[in-house]
Amino acid sequence: MVGIVLVSHSSELARGLADLASQVAGTEVRIEAAGGGPGGSLGTNGDTVREAILRADRGQGVVVLADLGSAVLTVRHVLEGQTNGHVRLVDAPFVEGAVAAAVMSSAGLALDDVVRAAEEARGASKF
Amino acid sequence: MPASSEATVTLPAGVALHARPAATFVKTALRFRSSVTVGSNGKVANAKSILDVLALGAHGGTVLRLSADGDDAAEALEALKGCVSGLIE
Repeated sequence: MVGIVLVSHSSELARGLADLASQVAGTEVRIEAAGGGPGGSLGTNGDTVREAILRADRGQGVVVLADLGSAVLTVRHVLEGQTNGHVRLVDAPFVEGAVAAAVMSSAGLALDDVVRAAEEARGASKF
Repeated sequence: MPASSEATVTLPAGVALHARPAATFVKTALRFRSSVTVGSNGKVANAKSILDVLALGAHGGTVLRLSADGDDAAEALEALKGCVSGLIE
């Protein structure tokens, strides 16, 4: 299954979203939280992101979602030089994108399909 | 041969189409090639999209209208009817 990494400025936000997505999609999908800066501060940390990607990777690829601004920069920095497309940062709403990606991964879909589902979450209405 | 089929099925009492039950439903739909929609309360959702299905807000006891289009449409609807009938919280 495609692994999922959730990068947030807040460790609680990343962890809570990982719990929510696991609750919906099931625990067989690897969903890793990568939240917070050094010492538990609000922020993002390249080492935390790098380790989360390694834990999430089961060989079928990894989708990375980021909450805001500099979280994107942190992920891009971590992924610098990785051009094989095995780990993909997707431009998607954080909560909806994570849940959509998790369900598609749990259904056994391939990386491209999981990426597309996360990106399409942008257009989804909540009600 | 492409075909379309329709069916209705009622959500078990006390089981809303949210979180885990919704994902179970979507994962069943994803097993088939046909495009599948699910309708309730005047809304229609892509049965293969968890966000679409969650947005239906279907409560227990709601009648769902299933529609499938494709070469395995009949099989998809049979599987989804069975899935919905067997959903638990």
